[in-house]
Order: sequence, then C-alpha cells, then structure tokens
Amino acid sequence: MSRHRDVRNINVADELDDGAVSDGGEEDLSPQEYEQLMSGLDHIRATVGSQEQSGLSDKEIKDTLYHYFFNVEQSINYLLEAQTRKIAARERKAAKEREKAEKLAQQKKAAEASAKLPPAKPKKATGAKLSGASTPVRSTDIRQLDLAGLNLDDETVLPIDEPPPKITVAREKVLEEARKQLEGNADKKTVSLVVIGHVDAGKSTLMGRLLYELGRVDDKTRKAHERASSKIGKSSFSWAWELDGTTEERERGITMDIALQSFATPRRQITILDAPGHRDFIPNMISGASQADCALLVVDAAVGEFEAGFERGGQTREHLLLVRSLGVSQVVIAINKLDQVQWSQARYKEICKLLRPFLIQSGFHPSKTKFVPVGAMAGVNLVARDGDEAQALNAWYSGPTLCDLLDELEPPTRDLDAPLRFPVANVFRTPSSVIAVSGRVCGGLVQVGERLRIVPGDETAVVKAIESEEERLEWAAAGSNVTLHLTAVDPRHITIGSVLCPPTDVVPLVTSFTARIIVFDIQVPITAGTSVELFHHSRDVPASISKLLATLDRASGTVLRKNPRSGEKHVGRGANYTSQHNRFWPYSPSTTDPLRAILCQQGNGEDSHSSWRRDNRSRYRNRIELSL
Amino acid sequence: MKLLGKHLDKDGSGYVTLRPDDDEDIWHLYNLIQEGDRVRASAVRRVQNVSATGSIESHRVRLNLTLAVARVTWSPSTAAAGEAASFSTDASTSTSAPAHAATLHISGRVTSENPHVKMGAFHTLDVEVNRDVRIEKDEGGWDSIALGRVEESCVPGRGAEVAAIVCGEGTATFCLLSQHMTMVMHRLEVSIPRKIAANSGAHEKGLTRFYSALFTSFLRHIPYSSPTIRAIVIASPGWVRDAVFDYIMAEATRTGNKALLSTRNKFIKVHVTSPHVHSLVEVLKSPEIASQLKETKFAREGIMLDKFFKMLGADEMRAWYGPVHVALAADRGAIGTLLISDDLFRASDPIMRKKYVQLVEDARQKNAEVLIFSSMHESGQPILTFPLDVEVVEAEEREAKEEEERRKQAEENGEDVNAG
Repeated sequence: MSRHRDVRNINVADELDDGAVSDGGEEDLSPQEYEQLMSGLDHIRATVGSQEQSGLSDKEIKDTLYHYFFNVEQSINYLLEAQTRKIAARERKAAKEREKAEKLAQQKKAAEASAKLPPAKPKKATGAKLSGASTPVRSTDIRQLDLAGLNLDDETVLPIDEPPPKITVAREKVLEEARKQLEGNADKKTVSLVVIGHVDAGKSTLMGRLLYELGRVDDKTRKAHERASSKIGKSSFSWAWELDGTTEERERGITMDIALQSFATPRRQITILDAPGHRDFIPNMISGASQADCALLVVDAAVGEFEAGFERGGQTREHLLLVRSLGVSQVVIAINKLDQVQWSQARYKEICKLLRPFLIQSGFHPSKTKFVPVGAMAGVNLVARDGDEAQALNAWYSGPTLCDLLDELEPPTRDLDAPLRFPVANVFRTPSSVIAVSGRVCGGLVQVGERLRIVPGDETAVVKAIESEEERLEWAAAGSNVTLHLTAVDPRHITIGSVLCPPTDVVPLVTSFTARIIVFDIQVPITAGTSVELFHHSRDVPASISKLLATLDRASGTVLRKNPRSGEKHVGRGANYTSQHNRFWPYSPSTTDPLRAILCQQGNGEDSHSSWRRDNRSRYRNRIELSL
Repeated sequence: MKLLGKHLDKDGSGYVTLRPDDDEDIWHLYNLIQEGDRVRASAVRRVQNVSATGSIESHRVRLNLTLAVARVTWSPSTAAAGEAASFSTDASTSTSAPAHAATLHISGRVTSENPHVKMGAFHTLDVEVNRDVRIEKDEGGWDSIALGRVEESCVPGRGAEVAAIVCGEGTATFCLLSQHMTMVMHRLEVSIPRKIAANSGAHEKGLTRFYSALFTSFLRHIPYSSPTIRAIVIASPGWVRDAVFDYIMAEATRTGNKALLSTRNKFIKVHVTSPHVHSLVEVLKSPEIASQLKETKFAREGIMLDKFFKMLGADEMRAWYGPVHVALAADRGAIGTLLISDDLFRASDPIMRKKYVQLVEDARQKNAEVLIFSSMHESGQPILTFPLDVEVVEAEEREAKEEEERRKQAEENGEDVNAG
C-alpha cells in the first residue's frame, strides 16, 4: 500500500537523474531492499513532516537511508542535522535580502523625505513589518523540528499558518500602547464625524471650505476646481468638488457617495465622512454614519429651504433620526447660508427654536447639541470671524466658531478587549495594485501581519499594511478609520459589507432573528409579511417581517399586547425578521458594535406629484435582542 | 393553454384535458393538480423484459400513463440558477436556455392497466409544454376555484408580458412578469469600488464593467424583440436607470442591433427606492406603468394591495387580515373586496381547501370582488406570507358600528386562540 502511495510522490526528474548520474539508482536495489527503503522513507516522513514543511526532498531522504543501510534512526538524526544547517543557511540568505530591501526602502524614503518629512518613523515601520512577515514560517519549522526530534507524535502535522508567535507577544504591548493613546491627554484624540443634512444644504461646500481654511487643500487645487467648475457652469459647487470626486457627482452637482477626509484641530484629529443628502442615496449615508462617532448637521437657513428640509419627509429630520439610531449622541448643528438672509439673528434663533424640541424628542441630550451660525461659501465663522463678510455676524454673535466646537467633541469610550470587527465599507486596488479595504475598526484592534477571516464566506486574508491618512501604521484600534492592505486573498471574496474578524472569533451569520423595533413616523402600518430593507454598516439586505410578537411600551418595555394585528405608529414592537433569498447577514452580538441596524419599509407611494417625493420611506430603529 | 376536452358531473367529479403552451400554463397546471387526483399524460418509461434464457432486454417506451397523484413539485429553474450566481462577482451566466425553464413533476402510483407497466408501480411524470394532460378529480374536486383557473388559463391572447430590470449601482435583477408569474431570469452582481476622493478612476472603471455585463445579460435574458413583450421597465434608485438606458441604446447603435433599436419606445424608466426585487411592487404602482398595464392582473393586484395597506393605515376597522378575522367578517357578510393568495388553494389538506373555496364562494354571492393573488409574483411574495386579506369597502355607518363590536369579539377570539 505504502509503495503505491509513494510512487505518486516520487519526483520523476529526480528519479531519472538518479539513473543517469549515480549508478546506485533504485533500479539496482533488490525488491527487499526497495521495500525497506520505502518503509524507511515513510517513517522518516512521518517524523520530519512533508517536503514543504521540512524542506527535505524524497531523494535526500532516500540517499541518507541508503547510506545508513536503511537504519531509520541514524538517518533521522543525520537528516535533522542537515535540516538545521539548511534552515540556518536560508535564514542568513533571507536576512541578507531583508537588509537589501531595507536599504532600498531607506533610499526611497530618503529621496521622498528630502521633499517632505523626516524619515525616522517610516523606516522603523518597514523594518518591523518585514521581520514580522518573514520570520513566522521559519519559527514554526524549528518548533516542529524540536517536537519531531522528540518523536512524540507520529502523524500530527502542525498547521503551517498558525498565528506567528512574534505577533502574539507584541499584541499585549500594542494593547498597552493603544490604551495609553486613548487615555493619555498628550496626544490628539481621534474623532470621526459624519456630515448630514438635507440635499443642497451645503454639506460638501462647507467641508471643502473648512479643509481649505485648515490648510488641507492648497491654492492650486482650489483654483483648478474653480476654473473647471465654472467651465461647466457650476461655479457655486467649486468648494464641493474637493469631496465630490466622480464625474457624475460633479456634473449633477450632488454628492452621491460618502467622501472621507481628515483634518486636525488644535486638540483633535478629525475624520470627516461627507454623506449624500439626496434620499436616493440613503444607503450610502447609513454606511457613512455607521462609521462615525459624532455628527455635524448642516441646515440651510434660506427662507423656505430650511422648512423644506425639516418638514415631514425632509432629510434634516430623517438624517437626525438615523444617526441617533446608529448610536451617535453628539451633534453640532451648523446653520448655513445665513448670508442669504442678511445674517439675520431672528432667523438663526427661529431655526434653533424649531430644531431644539425635535432634537430632544429624537433622543439627543441638550448638553450634547451645539448650534453655530456659518456661511460656508464665504468661509465665515468656520475657523475665524474676521474679514468684511463677518461684520454682520460679529454684531450679534460672539460664541465659538465651528472649528472650536469640533475641537470640543468627546470621542466615545472604545472597547479594545473585544474581538476585532472590521466592517468593510469599500474594496479597491491601490495604485500599486494591492487589494485594499477601508472602513472603521468597530471593536478590538488589528495589527500588521494578522490573518483575518472574511465573513460571509470561508476565506482568510493577511493584513500587509495599515494606512491612515497616507501614513503607515503598525496597528489600528477600535474607533479608527483606516485602510487595510491585504494579501493572500482573491478580491472576489471580499465585497462591500463583508466583515473582517479574527479566525478564532468569527461573527455569527443569521438568516432570521428577533428584534425590538421602534417605529418612527410611518404612513402605512407594518404587518406580518411586510418587505423591509435592512441596513447594517455597509450591508443592505432585503428582508421581510415574519411575525409580530408583541406590542411593547416604548419607555418601560412591558408587553402591552401579544400578537398584534399591525404595527401602529410610534410604538416599540418585537418582531421576527427573516431575510429573503437566504442571504446571510453577519453581525456581532457584542457591546462594541452598536447592535443597531436600520430597517426601511418599502417605499409607499403617497403623493406622486414630484418624482422625489413619491417615496415615503419610513424607518424603524431596531435593537437586536436575540440571535440565532 | 388549450382546453381539449371536458367532462364533468354535477357533483364536481370528472376530467379536463388540457394542452399547456408556455411556462405560465405549467404554473396553472401546478395549481390545478392536487394530491389524490388522477393525471393522465404521456410518459417515457424504461421497460425490462426477461427472456426465457434469462437475458435481460431493456428499452424505452413512450406510453400514456394514469397516476394517482402523490406529490407535485414545481420549480422556476432560472430563478434557482440566478440565485446561485447572485453572490459571485463576475457576470458569468447560467447556460440553460431561458425559453422553457419551469418544470413540473408529478409522482404517484400507476392506476390504469397497461401492457408495459404494472398497476401500482411508481412513476414520475414530467409535464412538458405542448403535451396533453388529463386531470381527473373526484367528487367535489372541480370547485369554482379550479374551474375558474381552467377558464382563465384558456383565454387566448393573454400573453402580454413585461420585462423588468431592477438595478442599483452594481446589482441588477432581470425579471419577466406575466399574468400569474414573476420569473427572475437572472441576477447580476458586479463589485464596484466606491469613490475615493483621490482617484475616482476605479469607480468609473467598475461602473463601465457593470454596464457591459448588464448589457450582455440583457441580450441573453430579455426577449426584447418578442411581440408579446409590452414594455421593458428599467427601475432603479438614483440615476442608474438613465445611465443603463443610455448604455443599452449606445451599445445597440454601436453594434448595429436594429431589433433592439426598434424597441426603443418600449423602454420605460421608473424610479424606485431600493435595488431589490421587492421594489417591483413600486414599479407596478408607478403612474407610468399603471396606465400601460391597467387591465392586466398583476397591475391590479399591486393596486389593490396598496389600497389595502393604505386602508389599514387610515382606518384600521375597515381592513382586516388573518384567517380568524376574515372568517368572522365573512360570517357577517361584511366583505367588500377579498384578497386571497392562491397558495391557500394548493393546501394538501382537502378540508382546508374546501374552507377557503367556501369563503370565496360566499363572498362572491354577496357581490364582493374577489382577487386571487398569485404567489408566484415575486413582488407579492413576502406580502402574501400571511394567509388572507380582507378589504371592507362598504362603509355605511351602521356597519361600521357592527364592526366595532365584531372587532372586539375578534380580539377576544384572537386571544383565545393564542391562549389555547
């Protein structure tokens, strides 16, 4: 039997070589000797491991066996010695190569640095990264060798891609470091901010201008945008072009997808996610809002515009409810376009008065809501209030600027001990054609060199590098918006909405679950069988309600009525959802990931006089109580 | 479907001979044939003969068999194939020809004498288009619902169909809507990198890839030049539908596809709120479509359901659903319009079926409008997972008062049922 199996493993080229060069080929052996040789080979293979693991070819083993007259023990001893020698040699070679690579990288960095920054940090990063990537394989081998040398196990083959020990040791250090950074006051705290508001309230313009004021955008790009936008007759959108990158967005003058940018205030490092305001792109807005800690609501102060955004079906209202449902509790409200109402204080106060009760009703604490008057186009009260334009505002306003308010945002507590959850918001290839995913670390931390599982699916990927604001990082902890460069994976296995998690702690997948939902303002009550859409991070799944279990009191959670007929307005209810088409929906029942998803009832055409109004989506906030 | 023969007794027993013409007729047959019926259709069976010397000779024989039905299975196979491909990122498509995809299998024991097959032997009939099928039912089997379906399915020239592409950025679903069915022909998913402020090239490249994949799938799965296709709907949120339409027309011009170019005025662009198949309901409700397809069954279904839900929202007393509540309303003769899923008439339990048939007949007698929904409309599927809808349209004050009482009663009843 063993012979049959091994015949298959024999390297044909080796066999032929044997016959040609040495006269001691296998053909010369007697049948008994051949039998001995083969069984010896089997024995040795069982001890030292397969060719890939041990680095010993069949031919080497056979030669040794022949040399020691088929004495297995002696052969093993000799082979193990040979193996150690080989490994040492290979390691030397690898070290040399590493040195070379390092030198090269250094040279490159130096070249770049001459134009930019001191190269100290990146250099360290490259070195550490390389050692992290290359040592693990070898170190497993040595351990395996030791074990094999003890002859303890006959059959067991250690998995090759076990997490490299080097990283596990460093993990504690990283954790400590991360903790320090989060608690320590010395460094700037990082906060991510989603910019929301009704369509055409000036979200992108405000952000574009703010980036310019803070020096993130140079004059050259600004001028280029100004020229290009006036060329197609949309000069009023020139500031927004910094964030609206695609041709379609620029042509239509509307944000369609989340744009990610970052800037620094004196005390905060802020990542901004510029959300689309148009109701058709609500899924994109949810994807952005689920990556944010705080929200910046932009309100159009122009007469009629504010009212349009705030009335039923307007995005001001809807976005606020959505971000609150997604766990955002701090909100800064920028009253924009005050220049169009001649910086009228009355108008500012009126808007604040209208918004305040709604904010409280939606669950925002008054102490965590701040109002600020701004003029985005002219750049008034963003960073400073000097210049001619600001005279009218200075007459009645002396409070903080927008930047001052952003500087006071408190990041929420991050959970570092939780298992890693990384919902993928985007998959793309970097210019150097490396597969990259971006998103926010929702819990735990991720390190370079770590192997991660992709859910749904049965694939894994190795983190090659972590990038944040064009800077390479060694690790990223909960709450940071980063880009991971991945290797050892086919891009088709990662889609927008996948979740990366440690292979030891995989996110469970569900097709049905029980949830407690809070019904907002809806026109058509929900019944069993209602089609809904489920939004969770960047995932968007069609689902339907299979059963309404009970009507609950919103405040106390007590059961008011079992098996209700339909869901009335403004009542919390328990319901059972089933996903259609058996599409799996990954989510993590942990405290770090806010167990919140948005359910959106299918559009129910109500007033169809204008095409944008036809859809009266209603949304429910839901809290998942049970899983699986 | 063609009605070839019909012989019915007064007691509702007898047989009907039918010849299905297309996929939809197969669906009708699936709804007609019930467990316990006897079905006669042509079959191919392998027959073995053992000669005197013991050698076995086997050959295939085409013969007519009559089965006592034990199980009926139906599958819209394209939908299943599309399902499998839905999670893959590439646009590879199923190879099966979309022309006749639905299959109906009827298995049971042979009940008629036959030179080749023994009585009582099991056989599974594959029902095919253009092959006659005789359905024989026992006493009471040919009720009003069953006969209604035979009649409905044999109306000539009802083959108006609508093709629909429901798409979002990176996803597209190709559907064919006929009177009783929504067939999902294909699902397409292409991963498009989202915009990054720095380089928008990847996003645009992804979009182009998506459009070209969509175009090839469109040519393969949508019989655009068929005269029965009344409209080709492109539905999407955002502006994807415009881009898709422009791309299709541009490609048609580029490749000189005259057949496609001549169908230009069949295209209708509809705004929907989600890129999933269930937004077909919205398509049917949209004024652009409703005016075109007003008289078709599925458009009516969409409109009625919408009306029901609005009623449920506006005046809960007048819109009831659930078997218990509906039965109560039927007892009082308070039903104005009855919406009922055909799924219920396929119930294997004859008593259940009889109950629902009775309900429909009662309602009809009282001049109520009865709409039997097709559970094969993907758009209606999730909605129809609950058993019954009733819309009470007559709203005289007296009745409303009565209903109030009834509702209370119903509530009690409902809760009794729960407790029990």
